[in-house]
Amino acid sequence: MDLIHPHSKADVLEVLREASRHRTRVLIVGGRTHMDKGNPCETDVELWTTMLDDLIAYEPAEMIAVVGAGMRVGDLQRALAEADQEWPVDAPPEATVGGVIAAAAVSPRRLSVGAVRDSVLEVELVTGDGRLVRSGARTVKNVTGYDLHKLVTGSLGTLGVIVQVALKVRPRPQARRTVLAGGGLETAARLLERVPLPAAVLATPETTEVRLEGWGEQVEEQTLAVAGSASVIELLDEAPFPLRRPWEERALVLEAAVPPSRLPELLAEAPDAWGALAGVGIAWVGLDAADGELAVVRERAARLGGIAPVVKGPGGLGDAPVPAMEVHRRLKASFDPAGVLAPGRFWGGI
Amino acid sequence: MADVDAAQRALEDALGPSEVLSDPLSRALYARDASMVEGACALVAFPRSLEDVVACVRIAGEHGLPIVPRGSGTGLAGASTPIADALVVVTSKMTRILEVRPEDRLAWVEPGLPNLDLATALAPSGFTYAPDPSSQQTSSIGGNVNTNAGGLHCLAYGVTSNHVLALDLVLPDASVVRLGSEAPEAAGYDLRGVVIGSEGTVGIVAAVCVRLTPLPPDVRTMLFDFETVEDCAATVSAIIASGVVPAAIEMMDHGIVVAAESFAHAGYPTDAAAILIVEVDGTPASVRAQSEAVERAAREHRVRSVRVARDEAERGLIWKGRKSAFGAVAQIAPHYHLHDCVVPRSSLARVLAGVYEIAARHGLVVTNVFHAGDGNLHPLLSFDRRVPGTLERVLRASDEIVRLCISVGGALSGEHGIGLEKREFMPLVFTDDDLAAQACVRTAFDPDGRMNPHKVLPEGARCGDFAMARGADAAGAAASLPEGSWI
Repeated sequence: MDLIHPHSKADVLEVLREASRHRTRVLIVGGRTHMDKGNPCETDVELWTTMLDDLIAYEPAEMIAVVGAGMRVGDLQRALAEADQEWPVDAPPEATVGGVIAAAAVSPRRLSVGAVRDSVLEVELVTGDGRLVRSGARTVKNVTGYDLHKLVTGSLGTLGVIVQVALKVRPRPQARRTVLAGGGLETAARLLERVPLPAAVLATPETTEVRLEGWGEQVEEQTLAVAGSASVIELLDEAPFPLRRPWEERALVLEAAVPPSRLPELLAEAPDAWGALAGVGIAWVGLDAADGELAVVRERAARLGGIAPVVKGPGGLGDAPVPAMEVHRRLKASFDPAGVLAPGRFWGGI
Repeated sequence: MADVDAAQRALEDALGPSEVLSDPLSRALYARDASMVEGACALVAFPRSLEDVVACVRIAGEHGLPIVPRGSGTGLAGASTPIADALVVVTSKMTRILEVRPEDRLAWVEPGLPNLDLATALAPSGFTYAPDPSSQQTSSIGGNVNTNAGGLHCLAYGVTSNHVLALDLVLPDASVVRLGSEAPEAAGYDLRGVVIGSEGTVGIVAAVCVRLTPLPPDVRTMLFDFETVEDCAATVSAIIASGVVPAAIEMMDHGIVVAAESFAHAGYPTDAAAILIVEVDGTPASVRAQSEAVERAAREHRVRSVRVARDEAERGLIWKGRKSAFGAVAQIAPHYHLHDCVVPRSSLARVLAGVYEIAARHGLVVTNVFHAGDGNLHPLLSFDRRVPGTLERVLRASDEIVRLCISVGGALSGEHGIGLEKREFMPLVFTDDDLAAQACVRTAFDPDGRMNPHKVLPEGARCGDFAMARGADAAGAAASLPEGSWI
């Protein structure tokens, strides 16, 4: 497979124009941490975004950072930490900002930080036929036309190459603590109800991790609330969250999304390597292979009104119905008229 | 060619005769929203259900009438001002709360439901719907979705898009799709995110699934007053720099403080150059920590007095003054023109000075009340339209204010939208390719250009210029504004 490693937006424009002209199919690659999310597709070249890694503008007082999409998440978080701020998105340090956005990766702290799309204020995109378009603005509020930046978040590189983004960042919490408690989903549900404003509540089959973030005194106050409602095994300050990800030790990981109250039904007969975000409705389920289990979990997620794409290993996105398929097709035809961007990788075979 | 009479008969059959209006008075009433733009329409319909909305869209399509969706008509940019033969589809009779599910942190509501009615209904459940535009007593959830409405508490809670999980959309071809999901992720592109803020140009939102936010256990509302606008504005940046993100930071200048006080009797200091209303919320310990940091920032910038609301009644009073500010300016002059643009927080003081200078040069009274934490300015020009030449001065001053905001890196609109009033400003912030790409998004939903034509995109922006898209094209097909409509 040929590799293309553009150094600038102009390079990307040129590459995509050529690719469209010659019908060369392109797979866009960032830090290679989210590549398994998406259907298998055949491509001719890989376009690496990792040289587009400049910190373009960052004013801590504005709580907005503008960066090249190929910047590594770890590098971004280090730069922001100097001003005591963070991009409120949890991703591996070697992931690229653009890759995390294109994959719409789910943060373990989703309960408090929201979806990735909520932190993307402006995007510069190079379309499949090699045009540079910008959407959004470098302000926290903006109602100015159609939000292409929403459209490309989660588009898995099928509409264009994200080359630059403006991100909404926030102050880093002064205290961070993980409280490990005994008990799984039921405990998690109880803690979600009784602990005021936790950053996350993650259940596994036997334990629950409650993530607390904020002011020192506040975290102490919340810790007491946890202790009053569950048996605390351990308090860990400044620990990573989650403490453990047993599902990732398996060959294959599904990222199921269902209405939050349906998590117990989803996981009732699931194998034992899973983690579920209470109050959010995300469950990561580890499997040994893309066999019958995969179909069972998917079928159950669908019945509960959700989806279950694979995020690690083979298995693709699944065949959940895509609403407004005609609108999807027209969008794809407008932004990638020659159909060169990872054809078939997206939902519905787009 | 539009066949209005046939459309009227079909609509009366489908919705019932009382839900379709065509008399001159009704048509005049629905020929404008809360903006300065006036248009014209052929028919006004009031659907009561999703099926009714589908019927409206289908019948309008069959008889060649463009469709203009409308909620409560509080829009300030002219997005629901109809043009010529339009059918105005008013959702204000669709006000039911369909389902509240605290266990899933969501509720389904009809689009015509007033924003405040939802928050009030939810309160006993311990949850709220966070977006709270100043117009919330009147403005509808569907209208809020279409303008991606903001409000007083965006700083910590975000805008409408962050709080809408899913929506049922009636597409221009009268088919119904559910975009987004009750689950946190959905299959397909984020069309939900595109519809939010699309100002009624891609379809009619017939039901909305909103996210419920837990009510914070504690809240503190503080009022600070300053001798200079500069100190007041600098305090905003200092609060953010101290690592606090308050739920709300609202700023009011002298003129608006005086007007609001005589109207609401909130106990505002009427000799202040500017005041800040800051609200922090969270757990009790977090509220204490945040209040201390906020107060310290204000003291470092020569705050004259600090007032902390002692109870819910006092808190309500402080907010009442703020929320009634726009009504209160009627004392200054009979008409006003309200602006909406966003600038970097750190340039607030400079932009405000510029706004005062522009107003003075055009001989206009300007007052300012705005979401300072978001850098979202709302300069308000008061005038008497009956004085010859005044409107022209207002429009010239408005034009200059917009250009000033853009020159410091701002956005054209923070929460009101583009509508008709600002569409010709779009090339100030976007290239031809940017606008063509946006036209493609619109065309993908509405290939025949049926839905709310003339809005958002400037004349000339078309998808066909951009890619190899085929077929008709919404924005491009639009002719110039017809005679009789004015901005």
